[in-house]
Amino acid sequence: MSVGLEHYLVLSAVLFAIGLYGALAKRNTIAILLCIEIMLNAVNIAMVAFSRYVAPQLLTGHVFVIFIMAVAAAEAAVGVAIIMAIYRSKGTVDPTEIDSMKR
Amino acid sequence: MDLGLLAPEISLAATAVAVILLDLFVERKGALAIVSVIGLMVSAAFTIAMFGDPAQVSFNGTLAVDSFALFFKLLFLGIAALVILASVDYVSKFERFQGEYHALILLSALGMLLMATATELITIYVSLELASISLYILAGFLKDPKSTESSIKYLLLGATASAVLLYGMALVFGSTGTTQLGEITQQVQALGAQGVADNPALVLGIILLIAGFGFKIAAVPFQMWVPDVYEGAPTPIVAYLSVGSKAAGFAVILRVFSSAFGLPDWLSLDWGMVFAVLAAIGMTVGNVSALPQTNIKRMFGYSSIAQAGYLMVGLAAMGVASAGETIGQSTILFFLLSYSLANLGAFIAIIAITNKIDSDLIEDFSGLFKRSPLLTLGLTLCLISLIGMPPAAGFMAKFYIFGGAAQNGLLWLVIIAVLNSVVSAFYYLRVVKVMWLGEPASVEKVPSSGALRVALTITCLGVLFVGILPGFAMKAAELAAKMFGI
Amino acid sequence: MAFDIAFWLLAIVSVVAALAVVTLRNIFRAALSLVLCFITVAGLYVTLSADFLAAVQILVYVGAISILLILGIMLTRDVQLGSPTNKLRFPAFLAAIVFFGTVAWAVLNTTWGISPQGPLEPTTATLAGKLFGENGYILTVEIAAVLLLAAILGAIVLVREK
Repeated sequence: MSVGLEHYLVLSAVLFAIGLYGALAKRNTIAILLCIEIMLNAVNIAMVAFSRYVAPQLLTGHVFVIFIMAVAAAEAAVGVAIIMAIYRSKGTVDPTEIDSMKR
Repeated sequence: MDLGLLAPEISLAATAVAVILLDLFVERKGALAIVSVIGLMVSAAFTIAMFGDPAQVSFNGTLAVDSFALFFKLLFLGIAALVILASVDYVSKFERFQGEYHALILLSALGMLLMATATELITIYVSLELASISLYILAGFLKDPKSTESSIKYLLLGATASAVLLYGMALVFGSTGTTQLGEITQQVQALGAQGVADNPALVLGIILLIAGFGFKIAAVPFQMWVPDVYEGAPTPIVAYLSVGSKAAGFAVILRVFSSAFGLPDWLSLDWGMVFAVLAAIGMTVGNVSALPQTNIKRMFGYSSIAQAGYLMVGLAAMGVASAGETIGQSTILFFLLSYSLANLGAFIAIIAITNKIDSDLIEDFSGLFKRSPLLTLGLTLCLISLIGMPPAAGFMAKFYIFGGAAQNGLLWLVIIAVLNSVVSAFYYLRVVKVMWLGEPASVEKVPSSGALRVALTITCLGVLFVGILPGFAMKAAELAAKMFGI
Repeated sequence: MAFDIAFWLLAIVSVVAALAVVTLRNIFRAALSLVLCFITVAGLYVTLSADFLAAVQILVYVGAISILLILGIMLTRDVQLGSPTNKLRFPAFLAAIVFFGTVAWAVLNTTWGISPQGPLEPTTATLAGKLFGENGYILTVEIAAVLLLAAILGAIVLVREK
């Protein structure tokens, strides 16, 4: 069977699910950031695939992806900055230890 | 391309840049707050000047300037101004970065303004992220362990929610071939019941959109971040978060769901019920969890989850109402106005109080009436509004929003909501009781800067005005509810 | 045919790399797997005729974001901790499976409006027009610029010593 839209979408879903698992289950905050990047890449794949198959001349999906990349870069930068600030004050990046606030 | 339509946003961006640059040259950092507030007033003036103009779409359909957008723009500008005024004392304790603090508040407000006026998915997403990223940074501004912890939690959960939101947007884009809300509306309306069965991806996309936006408004089941972030972030930022990002989230939800999805009856009915159930759960979870809290900021975190629940009652009413009725929207807008005034007012008082007593625990508020009667009065009035008792604005807000729901057949939900309001009275009034009847730890007065007192007065007057003469505000809300394209 | 082989190869490598990111205990190796994943995604863009995006993916994701993340790892190295999973492992796994199942079901059961037109090649000129030209997303570009300003401010504020 020739590769079509569905293949890309299922791949995108697989990657997003893997990223989602990591974002919820990892104990190292940088690892969570890595998993968020996987999720965003999965979304990008879906966008470009839709753009290619549903509206190829419009490139709307491509435009969306460019913006998502810009935002992802900004979020990663701020995330790393915060994590460095935490590490400086606490010496760890384990979110279960960075959990001082009571229910 | 009509730049004039963007005058409020451009002047706000210019103010933010001016504040950053000014920080380099000015010794008296108080000037930064003044410049920020003046900038906000200039933006507000531009916004008011656009009232009465016919609704316009511009910039390739990415934004629409209609009365809905103008209402929210004014709301956000006002909120930002009040937060800046209230942070004057707080900021004077910072050794550096005052300019960045003010600039980030302004940039976050800019993001919110754009969220209210954007009509196209990409622009909505980028504005949403502008507002959010600025808030993530502001939450960690104190750089102490609690503040940075709340900041990273907010960022990680927020980024995950954004990713889910984006997936929803991708599915919607894929099903309709466009990201313009107007065109999406047309396509969804053209779908019949068969069309929906053929397009489960579109429905899933909508659900993921709800999930993503639900995070921003602290709606159950995406509310886990709220108590921890509220407890750790600097108090003025918590005030800003609790009011600004919630209102911005609702602005986007209303625009997306009214324009694009609110219409065919068979589709609306399901959403109405979903929102109704989520509203019921949210109110109950929020109110019940707030009862045992001893930290005032945490208590307000749970309270804001409950308030999001009340707002969702309005969404539920919108969902089950027939097409064309705007009663649901206008009650939500009125509630947002009343809630913003009351919550901000409460936080303004809390900023001054916790600054002096250096503690966030409710028990340390005891006897405040003897130490600072004005702050106590202000806080009490705002708490009464949050409970929903007359003559405060909150009473009319709940009356309208629950009334709208009852009119549309959601009586069971209204009963749950009223019961919840009664439960909430327990924890709000507990603070009042401690302040008025407790014994003060010391007799020192609680100092508050002139700016903070001005901000508190404005919010309290607002609460009273909207509560006693609701007609004016309700008229404005109804006007705003007639969005472009509806 | 070659196209299909390329897709399958890239797809499998990207999934394996992503799994490596979430399962590897050594956080540095996890970051390297992430870089591999990004590269395969760039390859997938090429199979989708998104030439400009593939180049931007390499430049931005591999060239900038990965470097930033690895920098973060280096500066906050917690050797004993590594990158384990927490107690939410099972619910997270369930959530991921449910998500995948729902999306896959929805996506496979939808009749997509697939356009008969072929892809646009090359994309760069048209993209430039879309972003900066008349009737383009110029407003969104400006908002993104302000967003990057806010991020820069934030990074400086958070990382500089008092």
